[in-house]
Amino acid sequence: MKKAALRQSFNTGIIFGIAHIFCVLIAFNAMLGSLLVKIVGIKSSATTPLASALIAYAVLLGLWAGITAARRKREASGKERLQASLITGFSVGLMAALLVAVFQVLLSDKINPRDYLTNLSFPFMRACLFQLGAFLGIAANFLIFFLSSFLGGLFVFIWNLPAVTSAWHKAFSAPKVWIAKLRGETGKQRRITNIIFYALLFAVIAILPIEWGSYWNYVMGTVGLYVILGLGLNIIVGLSGQLVLGYIAFFAIGAYTMALLNAPEPHNWMWGFWPALILAVILAALSGLIIGLPLMRLRGDYLAIVTLGFGEIIRILLKSDVLTSFTGGPRGIQDIHGPTLFGKPFNDIDYMYLIILAVILAIYIYNRLQHSRTGRAWLAVREDETVARATGVDTQRYKLLALMIGAAFAGLAGAIYASRNAFTGPDEHSLMASINVLCLIIVGGMGNIPGTLLGAFALKGLPEILREVENYRMLVFGALLVAMMIIRPEGLIPSQRPTLELPEDSPNPNPPDLAVRSEAKPTGEDPHDR
Amino acid sequence: MTADTSSDLRRKSRQLIKLIRPLLGGIVGLFLVYRLYIVLIVEHPYGPDTWTRLLIAGLILGGVYSLVAIGYTLVYGILFMINFAHGEVMMIGAFSGYFVFEALNAIKIQDSNFLNTYAYFSVLIAFIVGMTVSALTGYFLEKIAYRPLRKAPRLVPLISAIGASIFLQNAVELLFSPQLRNYTNPTFLTRGAGWTININHSNVIIPYTGVFSFVLSAVLLIILYTIVRKTRLGRAMRAVALDKKTAALMGVDVDSTISKTFILSGALAGAAGVMWGIHNGLVYYYTGFIPGIKAFTAAVLGGIGNLPGAMLGGMFLGIVESMGPAALGIDFQLKDVLAFVILIVVLIFKPSGLLGESLAEEKV
Amino acid sequence: MNKFLKPVFVLCIAAFLFAGCAPAATPAPTAAATEAATAAAPTVASTTAAAPEAVCASDPFGCASFAPGTTVKIGMGAPMTGGNASYGIDISQGATIAVADAGDVHGWKFELDAEDDQGNAEGGAAVANKFASDPSIVAVAGHIFSGATAAAVPIYEKVGIPMLSPSATNPALTTTGSKVFNRIAFTDTNQGSAAADYLFNTLKVKNLALVHDGSDYGKGLADIVGAQFTKDGGAVVVEQAITPGETDYTAVLSAVASKSPDALFFGGYTAEGAIICNQMKQTGLDKAIFFGDDGTYGADFLTRTGANGEGAYASIAPASPDSAAKDAFNTAYLDQFGKAPGTLSPYTWAGYDAAAALASVVKTVAFVGSDGKLYVPRTALVTAVRNLKGYVGLSGTFTCQSNGECNVDKPQFVVVKSGAWVPAQQ
Repeated sequence: MKKAALRQSFNTGIIFGIAHIFCVLIAFNAMLGSLLVKIVGIKSSATTPLASALIAYAVLLGLWAGITAARRKREASGKERLQASLITGFSVGLMAALLVAVFQVLLSDKINPRDYLTNLSFPFMRACLFQLGAFLGIAANFLIFFLSSFLGGLFVFIWNLPAVTSAWHKAFSAPKVWIAKLRGETGKQRRITNIIFYALLFAVIAILPIEWGSYWNYVMGTVGLYVILGLGLNIIVGLSGQLVLGYIAFFAIGAYTMALLNAPEPHNWMWGFWPALILAVILAALSGLIIGLPLMRLRGDYLAIVTLGFGEIIRILLKSDVLTSFTGGPRGIQDIHGPTLFGKPFNDIDYMYLIILAVILAIYIYNRLQHSRTGRAWLAVREDETVARATGVDTQRYKLLALMIGAAFAGLAGAIYASRNAFTGPDEHSLMASINVLCLIIVGGMGNIPGTLLGAFALKGLPEILREVENYRMLVFGALLVAMMIIRPEGLIPSQRPTLELPEDSPNPNPPDLAVRSEAKPTGEDPHDR
Repeated sequence: MTADTSSDLRRKSRQLIKLIRPLLGGIVGLFLVYRLYIVLIVEHPYGPDTWTRLLIAGLILGGVYSLVAIGYTLVYGILFMINFAHGEVMMIGAFSGYFVFEALNAIKIQDSNFLNTYAYFSVLIAFIVGMTVSALTGYFLEKIAYRPLRKAPRLVPLISAIGASIFLQNAVELLFSPQLRNYTNPTFLTRGAGWTININHSNVIIPYTGVFSFVLSAVLLIILYTIVRKTRLGRAMRAVALDKKTAALMGVDVDSTISKTFILSGALAGAAGVMWGIHNGLVYYYTGFIPGIKAFTAAVLGGIGNLPGAMLGGMFLGIVESMGPAALGIDFQLKDVLAFVILIVVLIFKPSGLLGESLAEEKV
Repeated sequence: MNKFLKPVFVLCIAAFLFAGCAPAATPAPTAAATEAATAAAPTVASTTAAAPEAVCASDPFGCASFAPGTTVKIGMGAPMTGGNASYGIDISQGATIAVADAGDVHGWKFELDAEDDQGNAEGGAAVANKFASDPSIVAVAGHIFSGATAAAVPIYEKVGIPMLSPSATNPALTTTGSKVFNRIAFTDTNQGSAAADYLFNTLKVKNLALVHDGSDYGKGLADIVGAQFTKDGGAVVVEQAITPGETDYTAVLSAVASKSPDALFFGGYTAEGAIICNQMKQTGLDKAIFFGDDGTYGADFLTRTGANGEGAYASIAPASPDSAAKDAFNTAYLDQFGKAPGTLSPYTWAGYDAAAALASVVKTVAFVGSDGKLYVPRTALVTAVRNLKGYVGLSGTFTCQSNGECNVDKPQFVVVKSGAWVPAQQ
């Protein structure tokens, strides 16, 4: 095998080995292993994991290492692939063996590293040696990784056999044809399928809140609110290209307006739900105006830090002693009364419907704005502010408008949120929440509605589904964010430039590179080439 | 006719809007001056001893902020990205220093331990280890999370940075538990001890750790400034900051320069982290978050991409945070509000920060 | 819309539906336990031989039923990630030991289900909804932070799940007339006024400085202390708030020192309290007494302050002696989790007590029906938790009042002498 390829496979193994050591040190192997064996019904604890759980994890990691190694070169021969996976398996196995050798030394010398590395309790270390003795345990570690890596290489080898490849292509192309047929050929057929699709969707949405229980009502309601937030931020960041990092401040203003006007505690101004909702939206929009006016001259990242500061200012003020008599201070505001339907207060199903209506409203407004003159003006401002101004677009006005409308969306979401929780406090409106919404729209795909929807599902629904991984939730989330950006920077559903549709040809659904370039650039002069 | 009146209206409203900025800035500025007047001239709530203490606290804090802000500015100047994970790089440096001190504390030598017998040497080791680990973290961070995204639009590396920040925070929490760790300083750097001067019948203590932090910050900043101005690497950094493509054409290895920038900024953050640990004593996985945000604010305040600007911004922010609430007679709880308000006011009048932008241009 | 988008969309929604329709987590029954359960059932004595249908029908919230081999679950909502993770992790670990110690109820084992609520209302409501829709959860030892608890209480109220919180101290939580919410945390009103009286009468402090960390707990305490102290006749010369999570409070302390207070009352937790205690000397407060609260008590405070902590006060629940039970718990905790209890948060023992108390109450109301299943009548459980009397825990003795406050004792004060906490002069 060539030297370079050898070194590359060895390095792959080292990388996987380091990842493995990290996983062991945070006891991720135990958690992942117990998940894997739970599928077949075996129960394994996190602190004293079963050997089977750890073996399952090791096999998985080994397979992955082998597959990665074997797939490094596109045009490698079968033999090269197998060799690569063997080398990688060797180095991963070596590192795994070294790790448990260290464990063995610690065990036999009775040195407890637990004070510093909290997961390395004696039972845990013994489990990592598969409860076998010193040499058997180390050898077992090496062998498992070595063999499963080889298996992975074998898998890729078989995958790349000509017979298999052609069979797979045949199988894969069938669904595409089927979906196209389903959609219909002629315009009339497409319209019918559209109608059927939307009718089904409507029916599903109408029935679901009643069917799926209060937990999912709550989670999906939160997702819906985040969709509204995402759409609002998309107007500001996606459509008009201003990076705003303190978006949650507008959400807080909406929430606190609803709270202060509907709770008995600080002031007992019982205005009722709907007037408070309208006022919340108006106040949020006004604050967007207020924060926007002095700062129109600011360039991209400066605007970001200033809006971040604004978000923090709002949060600190809400929590401060000085304003406690007005805002309720760190205690927050309890017992916020909600709307009533024919005398009965809203329950979670009613709130779900309310949120669905709000989402539909938000989508409608967003859609109309996107395809209107205002939307085109925003696009112009986003692409190049100087040129936009030169062609007669009043950039200041449109930027302010974007900020106000985006803030209004956040105010609406905040008001409903406070009303639904019957409680709101300053700690909920932190910087991390703003960052969450930003992640949502970028992961989903900036500037378009389906992207926002998917992003909201992913970002809010995912941690709920990730509850399985409990303590590792945030770790996995962070890693996923980075991975997501590297693998697919344009987002799950990339934005399409509005294209001119000529009668005969159908538009190219994925224009090359334009989708990536359709993101915001810093406004003003940009002598620095990127 | 309607067109005329509407464009008239538009012109008038634009004039009005143009006035708003200076008006707002003026109002806030006047308010601040008024409060200063009330507190300093009329009320005298604090004696000179308190003011000295506040100044000392401000200078020390400012030193740390400067050090971290420089890291932000370096990276921004070259890559135009906000390195959100910078605070975490600092935290990792702080943890490394903690482990070094713990290890050296455990090595027994005669009556005492290594830490106290070779105190200066121990501190040196801690700094070297901390800076190295942070530098490595910065290097790998760039390699894994930012380099693949060089061509992507601006917001994508930002999200990647956020993801990296969350990952690092949680990784440290899972590895070392969320327990708050206490730094064991060598005896000559005991926290709270220092030189005593008597002002106004009250003992003002100038803490050893504080002076140490301040001096070290200054030294590191001078070293960095020299590197950027005088060495080849610095020239390469400025070239890449000015125009990446042309720099590549001129024979500058852009990738390697960027990596070295991250290594440098990581090393600075690591030093700041160890200093933070020595002076404040408390490190845990969340330690880097708030200084990260503050440092970013400081860098922007001074003009992002501008080295002296970051230093100035850091010191300014530190002093505003410590002395500001006292000078204005407001609650100390609102010091962050004050800092951000001042930031906003500064940016209203000078949209590119106190000293303007650009790493590359010849500055003071 | 993209050609493939619609089917993708439908598939996504379908996936979520599928996930949602999946039955709530019910652990797989194991054959061995079934044998034990059915063998144990006939030997169980008094249990109401009344047919389960009758009891459950008369119970407004019905009964939770458990087939043989399933576990009775106690829930907990705590911040397990984020800046406050140390509290959640610590308390849930204490509760895990409690649940293991609780043994079984008529042969059915207990299980703790600790979920991450991030300490805020959104998380609290999400976790509460999750628990409310899980029929095998009979009680909740939580939540931990008041914000999350406030959002969760109305949800539990609707399904009749009793709560026993070890640490949610917001006074408003017990004034809403909730039937399900109870807490064994110190009542801040008692702690605060007792501290103020102690400061004025026993320590003869005339000028008091109030410092708090801006949290619900800290600020609430500081306000109460200030009010009572002024009523007693003393003077509050300065009140300042610090920002938690930071490590340099010399500026605030300098401002406080300029007013020359005799003592500094701190409302907050160990981390900030220790820093303040450490920095008091260098900021001119070397002559002032540091007076903390039950959040600053613990071995952790001693480690962090070292010599600077001499003479610092704190309050603790009375009758939380270093009993044999406490020692056993301390050893078990250290053994299982590698750290001494109290290092991550001061509420480890309270976490144990909350779960243990709930388990013991469940044992009193649960019964095995004639069909061999275990039944826990929910309303009876809610009432039983509310009627908790004289329960001796590791962190105090609890008797629940009609509003849900279970810890109405006056605090005891302790002071640091020679590096250890000793009872302060009466």
